[in-house]
This record gives sequence, C-alpha cells and structure tokens, in this order.
Amino acid sequence: MNQEKIRNFAIIAHIDHGKSTLADRILEITGAVSKRELKEQMLDSMELEQERGITIKMNAVRLNYKGYTFNLIDTPGHVDFSYEVSRSLAACEGALLLVDATQGIEAQTLANYYLALENDLEIIPVINKIDLPSADPERITAELMETFGFTKDEMIFVSAKTGQGVDELLDAIIDRIPAPTGSESGKLKALIFDSRFDSYRGVVVQVRVVDGVLKEKDIIRFMSTKSTYDVVELGFYSPKINQVKELHAGEVGYLCASIKTISDIKIGDTITVDSNPADDLLKGYMPMKSMVFSGMYPVETNEYDNLRDALEKLKLNDASLSFVPETSKALGFGFRCGFLGLLHMDIIKERIEREFNVEIILTSPSVVYQVYLTNGDMVEIDNPSNLPEPGRISKIEEPYIKTSIFVPTEFIGPIMELCENKRGTFVNMEYINKTRVNIHYELPLSEIMYDFFDKLKSVTKGYASFDYDYIGYRENKLVKLDILLNGEVVDALSIIVYKDFAYNIGKNLVNKLRKIIPRQLFEVPIQASIGSKVIARETISSLRKNVLAKCYGGDISRKKKLLEKQKEGKKRMKQIGSVEVPPDAFLEILSAKEQ
Amino acid sequence: MIKSAYIHIPFCKHICSYCDFCKFIYNKDWVNKYLDSLEYEIKKDYKNEVLNTVYIGGGTPSSLSCNELNKLFNICSIFKLNKEYEFTIEFNIEDISEDKLKICKENKINRISIGVQSFNKSYLSFLERNIKVNIKEKIELVKKYFSNINIDLIYALPNQSINDLEDDLNKYIELDIPHISCYSLIIEEHTKLNNMHFKPIDEDLDYEMYKLINKKLKNYNHYEISNYSKNGFESKHNLTYWNNEEYYGFGVGAASFINSTRFTNSKNMVNYMKKIYKKEKEELAIEDKISYELVLGFRKIKGISINEFKNKYGIDIETLYNIKDLLKDNKLVIKDGYIYINKEYLYVSNEILINFV
Repeated sequence: MNQEKIRNFAIIAHIDHGKSTLADRILEITGAVSKRELKEQMLDSMELEQERGITIKMNAVRLNYKGYTFNLIDTPGHVDFSYEVSRSLAACEGALLLVDATQGIEAQTLANYYLALENDLEIIPVINKIDLPSADPERITAELMETFGFTKDEMIFVSAKTGQGVDELLDAIIDRIPAPTGSESGKLKALIFDSRFDSYRGVVVQVRVVDGVLKEKDIIRFMSTKSTYDVVELGFYSPKINQVKELHAGEVGYLCASIKTISDIKIGDTITVDSNPADDLLKGYMPMKSMVFSGMYPVETNEYDNLRDALEKLKLNDASLSFVPETSKALGFGFRCGFLGLLHMDIIKERIEREFNVEIILTSPSVVYQVYLTNGDMVEIDNPSNLPEPGRISKIEEPYIKTSIFVPTEFIGPIMELCENKRGTFVNMEYINKTRVNIHYELPLSEIMYDFFDKLKSVTKGYASFDYDYIGYRENKLVKLDILLNGEVVDALSIIVYKDFAYNIGKNLVNKLRKIIPRQLFEVPIQASIGSKVIARETISSLRKNVLAKCYGGDISRKKKLLEKQKEGKKRMKQIGSVEVPPDAFLEILSAKEQ
Repeated sequence: MIKSAYIHIPFCKHICSYCDFCKFIYNKDWVNKYLDSLEYEIKKDYKNEVLNTVYIGGGTPSSLSCNELNKLFNICSIFKLNKEYEFTIEFNIEDISEDKLKICKENKINRISIGVQSFNKSYLSFLERNIKVNIKEKIELVKKYFSNINIDLIYALPNQSINDLEDDLNKYIELDIPHISCYSLIIEEHTKLNNMHFKPIDEDLDYEMYKLINKKLKNYNHYEISNYSKNGFESKHNLTYWNNEEYYGFGVGAASFINSTRFTNSKNMVNYMKKIYKKEKEELAIEDKISYELVLGFRKIKGISINEFKNKYGIDIETLYNIKDLLKDNKLVIKDGYIYINKEYLYVSNEILINFV
C-alpha cells in the first residue's frame, strides 16, 4: 500500500468531552459501520467501560475515506493509563485534540496534548458540542490559541452528536496529518501498542509497522524480552476482522503468534524479524510499574482458589495487574496486588466481584516506600506490616507527584488549602486565561489515594480537573501505625503515615472502627499504636440485646428466617482473633486518614 | 398427635402503630363471611383429636359483637377438649364488658389475655391505643369471671425512661395478675412506626429495662424469655410452640404445624372469604425438626430436657452442632437433666441460636 495514502491518528480529550461519540460518527460517515449496526459508542466494548464512560482497553480501526486509509487508534482516558496512551500515540502521526465547547481546556486536555507533542504528532484542535446552547466556541478558540499557540484558522468546529463539521474534519485529517515515512525496504520494526487475550487465538497484539514488512509465517523477535514466535495470523479491524498476508511500513494491524499469556508481551516493545533483526528498539519503551498495592483476600477463605483463578484470568488481558501470594495473620491467605492507580484497583475489584462472583476484602492501598536500613541496604516496602523495626531504619522515602489542577480562579484559595493539608509544596500557577488557572503542587502520592478527587470536586463545586505526573522519591518522617483489636495487632490494618499526622489519624481510625465493628458478646478495646506506644483508644461495648421477641400466633417459620438472615450476615464477617469484623472495615481505614 | 389449635380473628376497631400482624378494620359483612369460611376450614381439617389448648388471637377477637362471638364459639364447639384444657381468648381493654365476659364464660373460655401494654397515657397514644376506660376497673371486672389472666406490657418505647417503666411495672404488680408478658418494642417493617422512621431505643437502656423487669417481677416465675407467671399459670398454649409440638392454625395468615410440615395461610382476605386457602409449606426433615427443637426449646428458661430429647430423636443433644463448645464457653449450661442458655446470655440468645439454623 502506498504510504502516501495512509493517515494514522488518535483522538485525545478530557473525559466526557465526546471522544467516543466522535469515533462513532467517524465510523458511520466513512461507512465502516452502518447507522443500524452502530451500537452507541462502538469502540468501548467492555461492559464496565460503557458503564463508566471510559475506555480501558484500546481498539484500532481501519477506515476508508476518499481513497485514503485511516487508522483510528483509540486511547484510554484516565491518568492511571498514561503510559498506554503515550504508546498508542507513538503509533500515530497525528492527533485530534477534542475540546468541549461548553467546558474548555481541562487537566487531561493538557496532559494529552503534551503526550502528543512528545511523540511529534501533528495536532488538529477540534471544538466539539457546538450544537449545545451553552457552547461558547469563541471563548474556547481564544483559550486554545492562548494556551497552545494554535491559530484561528486551525480550529475545526464539530458536533459529534449530530455529525455537523465531521466531513470537514475528515478532510483536514487528509490535508494536515502527514503520511507515515518509514522505510519499506528497511529491517522490520513494529511497535506494540496494545494487546488483548482471545481464548481461541492466544494473545492478539496490536502493532504499528514503522519500517519494513511484517509477514505471515515470519519468525519474529520481541526485542526487549528477546523471545521469538511464529506469526500465525495477521490482519486489521474494520471494525470486523480482516485477515491479510502482510503488514507494510506505515500500516496498523494485529498479529497472532500462539502467545499464551499477555505478560509475555510488553507494551511499547519493538518487534523485528529474528533472522534479520533491527539494530535498536523504537524509543519510548518503559517496563510497566505498579504504583499502588493492596492486599486482596477472599471474604470466605474457601474462595481462595477461585480468587486466584479470577486474578489469573484478568491478568491474561491486563499486563499491568500484578499479584503474588501473601499471608495475613488476620485475613489468612490472599494476594498482594499491584495496580497502575486507584481507578485500576477499583476496576479489578469490581470485575472480580461481578464477573467471577468472589467477594473480596481489599486492604488499605499502599504506595511503595523505599526504606534505607542502617546497614546501608535499601528495601522496597509495599505492605505496611512488613516495615522493618524502627531501630533498623535510617530513613524512609515515599513517591511524589506533581499536580496539574485546572480551576476557575475563584477556587485558588480552597485548592491551596486542600493541597497544604495534604503535605503539598506549592510549585507555581499558570494562567490559562483571565479566569482559569493551572495549579502545580508537589504532593506525596499516598495523600491522594483516598478522597482527594472527591474533596477536589466538592471544594470547587465540580469545576476542577486533575492530572498528575510521578516525580520520584522524597524523604519524610514516616511511621507505622498499628491497630490492635482486643489487644492483638491486626496486620491487615497497619498503615504507614506521616508522623505529625499520626495522632489524629489514629484517633479517627479507632473512632471509625468503633462505629463499623458491631458489638460482640464481650467488650472489645480498639487501640492505635506506634511501636509499643498507644496513641488512641476506644471501646466497643458488649452486645446487650439480640433476641427473638414474641412469636405471634405461632408464626415460627418467620422467626427462623430471621435467624437465618442473621447467620448470613455473620458469614460475611471476618473472624479476627475472637472479634468479628465486617469486610468494609479494611478499606474504611482510608477515610480515617482524612483530618 | 395434635393437641392444640390457634384461631385467628383479624379484625380490629383501630390499628396500633406497631402492629405488623395480619389485621383488618372491623367490618360487619366481612366478619360474617369470615366466620363462615373459618367454620369451613376447621371442619375440613380438624380430625377430631382431643385438644389440650385452644387460643383465639388476633387482630382483636374481642372486637366482635356478642352475636358474632356466639357464632365464633358455636364453631369452636366442634373441638373436643380434655379435662385439663386451656382455652384462651385475647381481649382489648376497651372491649371488656360484663356481657362479653359472660358469653366467654358460658363457652368454655378459661383464660383471658389482655393487651394492656402500658398505663402511661402518652405511650398509649404513641402506640395508638387511646383508651378512655379505667384499666384497673376493667381488669377487676375480668377477675370477677376468670382467675387465669394474662396482661401484655410493651417497653423500650422511644423516649421512655427507666422510671417510666418502673411506674408501669408497679401498676402491673398491683393488679395481682397471674401472668405477665413483657415485650421490648420491635419496629417492624410495614408498620406505621417504621413508616414514621422511629428508631429502636439504645440497646444498653433496653437491657437495663429488661433487668429491671426481672428484678421487679421476682415473685413471678420467669419461664420463657418474655413471659412471667405465678406457679401453675404458665401458658400451656405457648408452651406447645416452645416444645416444638404440632398444632392447628385456622384463619387468614395463621400458622400451623401438622405432620412434620409448617404451613402459613395466605394473608389474602378476599380469597379467604371465598374459601380459597393457599398455604406456604415448609416440610421438615429430621435435621430441620431438631433445628426448630433447639431454637424454640432454648426460649424456655428451664431449657430442654436431655432425656426427652434423646427419646424423641435418639441422639445425644450434646453431640449436635457446636453445643460442646458452647457448653465449654459457658454459653449453655447443664443442670438437673436440662440444658439451657446461661441467664447472662438470654437477652442475646440469637447469637447462640444462629448456631442451630
């Protein structure tokens, strides 16, 4: 295929700015999918994706328009997945920067813009939702010009919903986005930008051929892992599956090579031909790294095997999920799981409960602490209960992020107050226009783990948008806070906290637990301690009343049903020592960290 | 062999705010049709056993007029009663009249159960039992005709203080009645109280109240979680339930236990009056029977006779469920051939009983 006639592009946007709707409209107008076939938001195929309105796994679709071949590459829409976004952008020459005409630039508009810029993409600014009465395209145009330096002529105005302006946009894609420029005769270099697991074909890898030609029956090599495979099948989606014999430089498609697990595939890796390998990898490859860790335990201990099966199945399709077996004195056998971020954690939890029907307990999520010991060694700790004795520690460092918080200027005060309370260090503030700013703070990652997003929304009446980058590790005064139930430390409830906050957190925590843990047949003391020093204490009084009253007219079946219901309730409880604790208690820890 | 029958009269002149039982506002037409259907049901099912106890409950059986009561007793005359029989009818305090008492007396009733609930005007009005008569005078009138009398007390009412309860208890004791049932208020679903979002009182106070009742009624025999009686005045009918024995249940919504099966009649009044008796059924296997035996038997303060249990089921009760552990933990106690819940845990007995379901 003539590379001159290929246009590879992605749509990038802040959440809810209409990315999926625009993709649907493009599919419809190019005739890839008829209106009748068009299920709302075609590219979001997972149930959870459609429910949450976000794209978790990407799709790439090949379309024909006016003699040109378009490859539309979808990107995930959340900060947890920014590495995947950057790799799928690396598969493109251009990006449509979609901005809501009623909202303007938001945090992820900016984050995605910079990702596109890093990948040297031609960016077409697209202002969407111009059909809405509250749309203000002039103001948004000015904003885009001021912030990114676009010119007025570059703007394209569309309504993805009605299709208005989309034809013009498609023409602009042809005119403005450069054709791929790889060398077809060069050694094969193909970028892996996505993969998914298919139970019949094994791992299906999405690739962009940069140089050379990828052929069926080739023996290929993944350059970072050095593993080799036979190419069994090549093809592309339109969005139906189309098999082909070859994929040439500039083209986007999929390959199957009897790859058994998705962990064998590294997003961002380079594929080459084993017999005639390329000299170096495509730039930008990074191994995946989990940022958030949490213990995952079945509520019912006999569900352990089912939980393992569930995690293994999810892992087939999600290389960013990691898990290793872990034992907790309190919770028994489970797994320490690593996630890209909190949204990722949430999605995994929900999928396990929904698709695999295993009820689970997640312990309070933890970041990875770098603990330097007095003997000079450094250990990484992702489970607070594994923190070495204070005497052996010389210092503890924790991961930091830098925020981009977009808000109308009237909320600068509340945002600063919020960030200061989270141990934030102010960096600077950029004015997007007269009424909106981008506020940069440096914050410990652990401080945004629980309700930072909710707080942000509430102090700004929903006007803030938020994004962040990891910026490395910093030393802080950190201590392990233990919780004792009935005199015994509950390992699954331990957390690492900032020393100056420990007293308040401890107090909140025991108070919260007192409310969550139901009364037992005996009095239960709850204590928070640092080392051997108890810093807070509450007591759950013993249960006083739980009795069947009158059996009206001998209606005894009903009373037995009531007992059965109580018994069911008890089954959900986790027995810790002699105390019965509801599963929610372990996550509630998080909210207690709030001051 | 069935030795007991329960008869449900679902009519009330007024609906109390806490009641979630099967009941309807009194309506003459309905009463007539209802009694006809009741007669049909009894004749259809009753197998001429000699009964030990009959209990007419409600609703409010005493809301029936004298004529209707006569009709009801005429239906009941089909029952064969043994010498020691107990035949109870529930009375609302306002319905007590010389005429009605006489009708009861003439028709073999020998026990009256009166829903007093409280002497305190404000709590009575909260329960929507606005009583215009003098309670004490009415009770004295009953005593003229009957010696075996029960009165109900409800406690743990919103805003009730321990002193309020003590006042009530003093008045109850003064009446010198041989049987008192004390129920802690439950705010059930589908009741007016629940709809008005009333919440149960603090459980510590509730427990204090329970302890006060036990202390004040020390001259009574506390024979079941909520029941207190003078010697020989235990409710034989209720003991049928606690002893897990079989019984008939007639009337709309009534429960029965016949041939190892527990039935609950439909609460659909229109169907009932058309003589359509739909029942929910729970057939009991031997394990279920044992489960019920324990759940019910442990309501009795005296507990379950170890020998009788062995005779009935051929199993040593101590080997069942985790009873050994519960004995070791001192939650259950064995004494004089009986196994029972340690008094200390009686008011939290569900925590123990859930082991047996």
